[in-house]
Formats: sequence, structure tokens, C-alpha cells
Amino acid sequence: MPTLTIDNQKITVPEGKTVLEAAEELGIQVPHFCYHKELGAVGACRMCAVTVQEGSSKGLKMSCLIPAEDGMVVTTDDEQSTTFRDRVGEWLMLNHPHDCPVCDEGGECQLQEMTIASGHGVRRYAGQKRTYNNQDLGPFVAQEMNRCIQCYRCVRTYQDYCGGRDFGVMGSRNRVFFGRFQDGTLESDFSGNIVDVCPTGVLTDKTYRFKSRYWDLQEAPSVCPHCSLGCATIPGGRFHELQRVRSGENQLVNGFFICDRGRFGSGYVNHPERPRQARNNEQLIGMDEALRQLDVEARGLIEQHGPEAVLLLGSERTSLEANWLLQQWAKKLGCREPVLAAHGPRHQAAQVVAFDLSDRLASLEQVRGSDLVLVAGADPLAEAPMLAVALRQVVRSGGQVIVYDPRPVELPCEFDHQALSPLALLDFLTAGGSDGQHVRELLQHAESPILVGGADLLGVEGLQRLKKMSLELSNDQRPCLIYPLLSNPNSFGAALLSLPEQDDLLTRLETGRVKMLVCLESDPLLEAPESDRFSVALTKLDKLVVLDYLPTPLSVHANLFIPTRTPVESDGTFINNEGRLRSYAGVLEPGLPISVAEDGGHPPREFSTVSPGSDPLSASRILQILLKDDSSLVELHQQMVADFPRLAGLTGLTPSDAGVRVADAAARNVVNIDLPEQPVGTLQLIVSPARYGSDLLSRYSDKLEPRFSSAWVMMNSQDAAERGLQEGDKVILDTETGSFCLPMICHPQLAAGCALVENSAALASLVPGAGISYCEVSREVSHE
Amino acid sequence: MDSIEKTKPVGLLEENQIAEFIHHARELEHPRELIIDILRAIQKNHGWVPDEGIELTATILGLTPLEVEEIATFYDKIFRRPVGRFPIHICDSICCWTRGGEGVAAYFQQQLGIEFGQTTEDGMFTLLPSCCLGGCGRAPGVMIDHNFYGELTPDKVDRLLADLRQEVQA
Amino acid sequence: MSQTPQLLFKNRRPGETVFMDGYRATGGYQALEKAFRQMTPQELRELVKAAALRGRGGAGFPTGVKWTFFPSDAPGPKYLVCNCDEMEPGTYKDGELLMADPHQLVEGMIVSAFALQTDIGYIFIRYAYEKQAEHLRRAVVEATEAGYIGKNILGSGFDFELHVHGSAGRYILGEETALLNGLEGKRPNPRLKPPFPATRGLFGRPTTVNNVETIANIPHIINGGAEWFLDLALTPDGSGTKLFGLSGHLNCTECFELPVGIPLREVVENYGKGVLHNHTFKACLPGGASTPYLTAEHMDVALDFDSLAAVGSRFGTAGVTVFDDRTCMVAVTLNLIRFFARESCGWCTPCRDGLTMVRWLLEMIDSGKGTPEHLEMLKDQLKNISGKSFCALAEGAMGPVAGLLTHFEQEIVDHIEKGCCPFRK
Ligand SMILES: Cc1cc2nc3c(=O)[nH]c(=O)nc-3n(C[C@H](O)[C@H](O)[C@H](O)COP(=O)(O)O)c2cc1C
Ligand code: SF4
Ligand code: FES
Repeated sequence: MPTLTIDNQKITVPEGKTVLEAAEELGIQVPHFCYHKELGAVGACRMCAVTVQEGSSKGLKMSCLIPAEDGMVVTTDDEQSTTFRDRVGEWLMLNHPHDCPVCDEGGECQLQEMTIASGHGVRRYAGQKRTYNNQDLGPFVAQEMNRCIQCYRCVRTYQDYCGGRDFGVMGSRNRVFFGRFQDGTLESDFSGNIVDVCPTGVLTDKTYRFKSRYWDLQEAPSVCPHCSLGCATIPGGRFHELQRVRSGENQLVNGFFICDRGRFGSGYVNHPERPRQARNNEQLIGMDEALRQLDVEARGLIEQHGPEAVLLLGSERTSLEANWLLQQWAKKLGCREPVLAAHGPRHQAAQVVAFDLSDRLASLEQVRGSDLVLVAGADPLAEAPMLAVALRQVVRSGGQVIVYDPRPVELPCEFDHQALSPLALLDFLTAGGSDGQHVRELLQHAESPILVGGADLLGVEGLQRLKKMSLELSNDQRPCLIYPLLSNPNSFGAALLSLPEQDDLLTRLETGRVKMLVCLESDPLLEAPESDRFSVALTKLDKLVVLDYLPTPLSVHANLFIPTRTPVESDGTFINNEGRLRSYAGVLEPGLPISVAEDGGHPPREFSTVSPGSDPLSASRILQILLKDDSSLVELHQQMVADFPRLAGLTGLTPSDAGVRVADAAARNVVNIDLPEQPVGTLQLIVSPARYGSDLLSRYSDKLEPRFSSAWVMMNSQDAAERGLQEGDKVILDTETGSFCLPMICHPQLAAGCALVENSAALASLVPGAGISYCEVSREVSHE
Repeated sequence: MDSIEKTKPVGLLEENQIAEFIHHARELEHPRELIIDILRAIQKNHGWVPDEGIELTATILGLTPLEVEEIATFYDKIFRRPVGRFPIHICDSICCWTRGGEGVAAYFQQQLGIEFGQTTEDGMFTLLPSCCLGGCGRAPGVMIDHNFYGELTPDKVDRLLADLRQEVQA
Repeated sequence: MSQTPQLLFKNRRPGETVFMDGYRATGGYQALEKAFRQMTPQELRELVKAAALRGRGGAGFPTGVKWTFFPSDAPGPKYLVCNCDEMEPGTYKDGELLMADPHQLVEGMIVSAFALQTDIGYIFIRYAYEKQAEHLRRAVVEATEAGYIGKNILGSGFDFELHVHGSAGRYILGEETALLNGLEGKRPNPRLKPPFPATRGLFGRPTTVNNVETIANIPHIINGGAEWFLDLALTPDGSGTKLFGLSGHLNCTECFELPVGIPLREVVENYGKGVLHNHTFKACLPGGASTPYLTAEHMDVALDFDSLAAVGSRFGTAGVTVFDDRTCMVAVTLNLIRFFARESCGWCTPCRDGLTMVRWLLEMIDSGKGTPEHLEMLKDQLKNISGKSFCALAEGAMGPVAGLLTHFEQEIVDHIEKGCCPFRK
């Protein structure tokens, strides 16, 4: 550990740290552009110059490039360094327009800050500035190339880090251009990151254009609610509108970047049809009244019909606090334990993760650092996009990624892919076939192997087999960890709170004994399989109560509807796929955004003490009111920890933290699942989430609409040929859930004997994670 | 291969050239090293590299058009815009400058009635400024079709232009 | 003056190119036979070190020393790359050599590869040298047919393949790491060093990059021995001969093979046949566009790496460009800076934008719009660009600016005071 002196201050840093990093630790900000923590140092901008007074190589040096040495003496504020940095500032500004007042980056411009920090203030160059024509990069990113200072961060992010191949750098000398071959939408699922890394106003968030100045935005550290990884985000809002999301930093999870679903999927908060007022059937009512009715009626029904009469349904997208409070309310009411997820099989799989695998879970950081990752039954870009970027880092540092999945999986890096049907995949996990042996051998020899498993495809049975595999592949030197993918931001949390064995939701509803169903931020019609059965079961209810912030079909049917707050409007905690407690802070107060209220025009001119649409309360607040509990969040957490010691990490957790792992659980008795026999002539049905619009939040986000896909069914070219079908044919897909008429597409990389569909707005009734099931595909009979 | 079929009608490369490049690319561990070879071959056949040429190169090498464009636009001897039958690279570096290079450049411009970067109306000549062509001992000079013409005077320029025109007519 | 032994230009005759038969007739491939049959790679490397051959590509790094850094024993593919980019104004010696006698380079590549134990060689050649590239391709075919390239060369068990790779313009490709990127089909920005090419070069493998003339010298060293090679130079520290490409205001602007250490006066007067039109010698670039000017006071300086460094210039590539007394040195410098600014790769700020700034300052001064402040700014830019860019391009670009400010500051002042160029009528 070298000790060096920077500006007369001594510091000891780990071997390999650069002088720039050492200075940063001392609180000395050396101006820089091309260096970025995640992208590393390339020495291009030359802004970070310092003077090495004592050391193996003396003189003006780029602090991002030189490693700290023992006994080194460095100055950052000497005449040579400051003059040089001033010149770099001047050079970078030669061509830069002086349009800060109208620039979209105004107020959060690193160039502005660094120019001032470097001391450059007066323009001396009076030659011609070079100018560019801009490109249309699609709906997400706006380009204004004249402001470019050639730090190359965008390409390094887009291409090198995230693996995009349609945006790069062209030209040379003082005419380099950062863009696409031709106008067109950026193809990468991580395109928005170039907005965050661009230090000036070249690449900006198009969806946020002309909305706010940075300093007028309310921001807070938050957790992305669009998948189970729990990436750090910083939502920014104003005028009750969530105007943008940028990525936060969490070294243990996403690092510095997020995916486009997380960034541009924020429209649900401002959805024009978002229900913002409580309602008893058709009648709008106040919140107090709604809660009073809920309380009175729930009690009444229990009194009258016993504890079965009221069923409380929690959710995998509501906060840990709300689910726990729901359990408390059930106790108080005297009804049966709530069901915390509408989707039974997914919930059970999440429980395997939360209990049986909890002592062997890897973090995303560990995935990035692995030398061999086996991805079994997971399509990262669809289920957990930032995992795809993490896998790219594995390959970039010389590691290997092997994917066993029936789908034609794509990744932004090189990888080996074996297309196995879901059943064959289960076999493979128990070392079936020569492949199984071979892959095991590779894993055995790896330094830090990791098994990624998609809970949707593997199910309870597959995850248990994955665990066995991980046990067999671990040794005294190193473990073989598991990185499971779950379906929702708080799937783990809901599973952790749940009783291991529960009747499933439908069975209970179908008994007819349930008179009132209370759905807390959950719509089984969209989020669970067998929506038809559920619809029928609903008719047996006397009363359907829905608490939600989305305009779901269920909320429309509700007898009593109570509006809740979105995660960005409340404080709370999610537990991500690897059991990490991640808390988030509210950014906005709920209310009708002006852009929605007046159709983008002038705000209302009437005087009022309350802003329209400000009724919604957070789910946990609502439950606290029902419980007549006014504990603070801290007190609430204490009670939760007392109830569930595994949640000890909640104490003292703040939204700026990287998050704390829940404590390990004792493994449970393993039950073997009987897999349904495959009827002759059928195909295995695979329902995969679409990359965009499968999770409900992105489905209700208008910004993502350009990315929504249409419905289709995919088959292996050979299976199609055997049935006399061709790409583009209209076919009938017969499933247990129902029949669908869909166009067919062929793909040589889809596992044989399978049919693949994507769950999205265009095909909402087939929901992923329902377990092994079979289907048939046949030509549509024409009725000519 | 499908997309190669689509690009064929443009006639940027002969069929056997495409086949050879594909074959060669398959043999190489790093097919990218053929980018310049392919671009130069297209330019030789077509005079310049149109967008379709970038796309064809990308298809042969398994790259995206952007990845080829990043390289193509770096080099000044790859033309991404149409040029005349004879692009004339006029050296404007120091040795030619000492020997009247500016005068020769002006004479070309005057005789052809075009500025640097322009093409004569008959599509014959394009004038391009170039850095040192390696003919410093025979300054001032120009390069046309890989031939260096040095020690130029107005007389020699006249003859050169006439010869080139004749060459096309023949 | 005609006693300089001709090694590299031995077979050179106007308008002719020598191929296998002609090359063999004057002793061609004897060095190769000797190396493969009588010497070990280790001995060859020692020999080159003892001969004190310094790189002819501009930087003058001792080739033998460079070769000792090379991990010849490392398993896996290793590369030898010959740099024939030669795009620095005033430099045309490699082109002349390849026009005359391409087999010299081919033989040099094979024996150097043997010495370094590299199995694959590339000759990277600039766009404008297509004729030379054709000659090289033919020479490679001939050498392959003769069994000098391919598998198990002369029964030694050593395999070697040699490729000729054409470029498509741009001076930066001469910088060795940019060249490697270019060869790989990547954007030819220079690479960060370390790691040096010897550890991670072409395709991430150990690689040596050497200039054409450097490699062409190797067979002669094998034939003549280290002592003989050292004695060829006129200066005690120098070694060998050097190709001098003359240009500018001289009566004879040809390329000559002369001993290292020959005084400038002799080059100008005996070989250049004096300044054109009987004008007076004012200044010259001694070794290509990136070397600070020499003036009349330097006429007796020996043209060698160390002697030129001692007077604040560089031997570079020994492309001598002479300027007569009617030449405006501000205009010369502007011409050079325009070249460098245009050829910047665009990677680092001092080069991409700093040279733009310098070009603008010189344009202001040259056009008579300069002010004393511009002169101060020019000095300041020199201080802040030299040695502070990512690669040596910008540093080289500032060589002439340094020369201008050292020797011809008064000319700048004259421009500023007169409000026009004092040399223009
Ligand atoms: C901008 C720039 C251009 C260069 N151009 C050439 C060149 O055209 N030919 C060459 O041999 N070396 C050139 N060099 C030097 C090479 O980087 C490298 O030092 C040389 O090829 C090594 O060979 P040598 O040791 O045999 O001289 C250039 C260097 C720079 C910085
Ligand atoms: S000095 Fe900088 S911009 Fe110039 S060529 Fe080198 S790396 Fe490129
Ligand atoms: S941050 Fe060090 S050179 Fe750019």
C-alpha cells in the first residue's frame, strides 16, 4: 500500500490506485473528462494533469494514468499544472458554442464546471468554429453535435461497455463525429446511458427535453422497479410529473449504468388515466371515507362469515413495508394470513430463492468479476437487462459465458448458446447428457464460477436442481454461487415474508367462502396465469377492493378503489433478486401533472389549497391508518426486524446505501415436483417476458411505446416445416389458457420441440413463469 | 449471404471478388483486418465507396455498417462521396510548397474551372489537396491513379490533362 | 565524395527495379543463408546490438536494445511489423529503396523474424506507394518460391509467412501503435503505453515494429559484421550509412546513401549541389517535417542522432528540406502546422484542438493581423503542447514552431510590426 503526498497531504491507498483516485479520496478534485470510474482511464482529454515532484517519472503527468507510488510527491495546484489545465479548457472550448442559456445540459454540465475549475474564462481564439449536422437518433436521445468536446465517453459506454454496435465515432482530427451510420433509432437496450456519461449538452434525454432545468428538478436516490435486480436510479420530477430517470451508482449492483426500460419506463407515474381518487363503484369519495368503508366492511364480513370471508392479496411490486403491514392488518382483523403474490408458481420459485438458496447468492458485482458464468433458463435482456451488461464485462476481461436456454437468446457479447427445451434443460442441470458433464468440468476448473438461473423458466424444480449443482461444484477454495432472476422488484421480499405453505389464491377464491378480496397493488388478471379462471372466481365475491396506482383492468372492476402512490412518491424498501435490501426515497408528492391536467397548456387559474389529484397515499401509509399505527419508518423497521430477524439490515438503511443482504435462512424440506407428462404431438410452451411492456410499469409507460413488440409465436424452422408452416403464416396456438391466432416466425436457434411467445400488451393473457405446459400449433383454418 | 445477394446489383465488387473476400475472412482469426482491402477494392471498381459499399463490406466481414464507417471515414484516400474519373491529389506539403506547389494548384484550378473538393462537369477530374506523397525530390507533384507526376510546370499540367482525357476517349 | 560504400542503394539504377536474379547477383540472400545455417537467433540479436544500429523511422531507438525486450521464447503467435507508412513531409527514402530493390526488405524481414522468432510478418505500406507494394508482393512470391518464406525455411524448422498490407492515407498510421490498430482494422488512434507492443502488440500478441531502412540494414550487418558497420559512420558514436532524401531549395533533390555523421555542409554543397538559383542557405529541416530547423550557423554540424540533439534538433528520418534566404519562415511553419493539424487523429486535446489554435495564431501572424499578444500566445502554446500530448505527433508538430521561435522570432516581430509578410512583394 503506497503512501504518497498530494498538495502536502499524505494518503495511503491500495496498490494500483491512480493519483487521480488518491487525490479524490483526499477531497482534491482534479478536473477530468475522459476518465470515468466505470470506463477507466484512456488519457485522451489531458485535463487531469498534475505535476509529479518526486517519483519514478517526474514532471507534468496525467493523474488518471499514473499509479500512486510510495514516497511520491504530487502537486495539483502548481503553476505548471494549473496553466496546462487552463489551456486544455481553452482548447476544448475552441469550437464550443456559447449557448449555455438555451442548452439542455444547463446546470448539470460537466464542461461548464470543468471550464470554470480549469480557470479558463476568456475566449482568445477568434477563428472559425467547426459545425456539424445532427442526426435523428430515435425517440430517446437527442443529439447536438456542435457541443461535442470529444471525450469519447459515449462510444466507450455504448460500444465498449454496453456492447452496442450501431453508434460510434467517425471521421478524424478536429472533425470527429459521434453518431450512427445513418439516422435511426439507437438499437442498444442501454442507449440512454450515453446521456448520463456525456459531460456536455450533445447527448440529452429527448423525452425530458424542454421540461425542466436541472436545479428545478426534485431528485432522490431510488431503486428501479422494472425488474428484480434493483438497480440504483435517480428519478427527477417537477410539477407532480416524473420527468426523467437517470442512473444512480451502486457498485454492488448496477455499477453506473441502467437499461432503457428502467430509464424510459417512467411514464406510468404520469399516466393520463392513472386513478387518483377513491371510488365506491361509480361514486368518487374522499380518502378518509374510503378507508372507513374498507375497515367497517372488512370487519363486518369477518364477524358475519368468519376469518375466510376476507382475503388480503399483497404483491411483488409493493414495498416490503406494505406487505408486512398487510400481514399485521390481517392479524388485527382476524382473517387468514394474506397471500403476498397473485402468481402462485412464481411466488413459490421466489421462496426457493429466498430460503433455500439464500446462503449462496452472488451479487451482480460478483457476476461481473466471474471468469465463467453458466446462464441456465434465462434471457437476460428480457428478464434482467443489466445482467446482460454484466455478462459482457465477464467476456471483456477474458471470461466465458455459456447459455443454456430454449430461446434464441441475444447478448451484447460473445457467448456459447445451447438451445435446450425446458424439460431437457432440467435434465442438463442434473448432469444429463454429455453436455452436462462437459460444462460441469469447465465450471469445476473456473476460479469464480457463477450459475445464473431464471426462476420463470426453471421453476421450483429447476432452482432446486441448480442448488444441488452449485453445492457439487463448490469446494474448499471457492464457492460456486448462484445468481437467480426473479420477476418483480420485490419478489424476494414478498417470498421472505410469506408462510412457506399456502393455499393458492384461486383455490381459495373458488371455494366461494371469500366475500371480500383486497388487492394491494396487484392485478391477477394481468400478473398471474389463468386470468379466465380468475375472472370467473371474481364473480363469487361480494366486494372487490383494489388499491393501486395503475389504471389496471382490475381497478376498473373494483367496488371500492383506493389510489396509492408510486414508488417515486413514497419511501420504502424492496429486496432484490440476490436478497439485498434496497430502500428508496420519495421524490414527488402525488398530484395531477400540469402537463396532463391542462393538456400541456397553462396551469389552472382557480385558487385552491389542495392541488388536484393529490389524494393518493402510499400503501404502507394506508395500512398504518387502518392499523391506527403512527410509527415512523424507523420504528416500523424495528418492529419488522423483531418479527423477521432476517431483515436485521433494515436498521439504519438509507436510500443512498448500496444495500444490505438479508440474513441467510435455514433450508426447508425440499419437495419434489411432479412434472406433467408431455402429450404426444405437442410442443413445450415457453412464455417469455417481452423486453419492453411485459412488466406492468413499462406497459403503462408511453415513452416506451416505440419499443413495444407485436404478438407472434416462434418455432424452430424444422418444427415449422414438419407442420407445413412457413414464416409469416397465421397459426392457431392452443394452450391450456386458451387459443390464440398469431403470426408465426421461424428461428433456427429456438430449441426443437418448443413454441415461444412473448408476454406483452399485445399478448397479455399468457404470463411467464407458469411452469411446464404444452401446446399445439396448427394452421389457421380459413373460412372461405 | 442473403444480404449479400441484395447488394449485388450495385456491382461494387465482382462475384468472384466477393467470394474470395468471404473465403479469406473465414480463414482469418480477425477478419476485420480486411476492411481497408475491401474498401479499396470497391473504390477501384466504382471510383468511390457509396453507402452500399459500406454495407457490403460489413456483410462480408460480419460487422455493422457503423463499424465499417468508423474506419472508412478516418482515411482520406477512401472517398465516401462521388469523385470524377481522375481524382487528382495535389500535394500541399512543405517540399512541394518550396517548389511552387501553390502555383501548380492554382493552375489546375484555373484550367479545370473548379475548386478543391469539386469535380469537373464532365465528371473527369476532382481536385483534392493531399499531404506529402513521397515525391519530395521531384516537387511539385500530384498523384493520379497511383501514379506520381513530378516537377510540374503549367506546360506539363496541360499535357497531363490532355493525356488523361485522351486515355478515357481511347 | 563517391567513396561512401553503397549497401542499401547498391542495386539502384534510375528507372529500374531489381528482383530476385539481380538481387542474387550482387550477393542477395547470402545473409539469410548464413543466418539460417550458421547462426542462432540469440547470436543474431547480439550482432544487431553490437552493430549499434539505430531505428531509421525517426526516433532513433537502438534496434538491438529494442529486440532484447522482445519475448522471443514466449509461446503462441508473435509478429514482426515493418513500418512503411512514410508520410512525413520531406521523407521519401523508404519509397526510393523499395522502388530500387524490394528484396532487401524481404530478406531483412525473414532474418529479423528468425532472430526474433516471430512467425508472421506484415509490411504496412502507405497508399501512395502502391507501385512499391506491387514490387514487394512480387518479391514475396519470388522469395516463397525460393524457399525463403514458408514452412521449415532452409531446413531450420523455422516457419514464416509475410504479408503486404496497404493503407488508405493518414500520417498517424506511421505511429507504431496506431499502425497496429490500423492493421487490425480498428480506428488507428495510438494506443496507451504501457503495455508496449513487445508485450501486447498486434492482435494483443508480442510484436516488434521497425522501419523499412532499419530492417533492410540487417542483412548487411550479417554479411559485414558489427565492426564494419560501426566503422561506416563518420562520428564515433554513429553506425552505418543513412539514406538522405534531399528536397526544397537545392539544385539536386535526390536521395543519397551517405555515412551517418556527414556534415550538413557537405550534404548541401556536394550532394545538393548548392542552393537553388544561387540563393543563400537560410535554414533546413534536417530530418523531416517534425524536426526543429537548422540555420546557416549549423553548417558544420554532423548529421547524426546525438550531434543534432545537442543543437536542439533531431536526426529524424534524414529528410533534408532546405529553404533559401527569400523564404518566409512563418509561412514555412504555417504550412507544416497545417499538415500536422490536418493529420491529427483527433484523440487527444492538445493535438486535435491545440494545433488548431496554433494554426490560427500562425495564420493571424502570417496574414499581417498578428499582435504582440499572439506571439506570446504562440510561445505559451509551444510550452503547453510539447511533450504533453498522447502520442508524439503533436510533439513533432511543435518541432518547427520551436525552431521558428528559437531562430526566427524576429521574423514574427517583423510581420506584426509591418502588418504584412515582409517577404511578399
Ligand atoms: C506521428 C508519427 C509518425 C511516424 N511515422 C513513421 C513512419 O512513417 N515510418 C516509420 O518507420 N516510423 C514512423 N514513426 C516512428 C514509429 O512510431 C516507430 O518508432 C518506428 O517505426 C520504429 O522503427 P525503428 O525503430 O526501426 O525506427 C512515426 C512516429 C510518429 C509519432
Ligand atoms: S497527439 Fe493526440 S490527437 Fe495527435 S495524433 Fe497523437 S493521440 Fe492523436
Ligand atoms: S481524465 Fe486523464 S486524460 Fe482525460
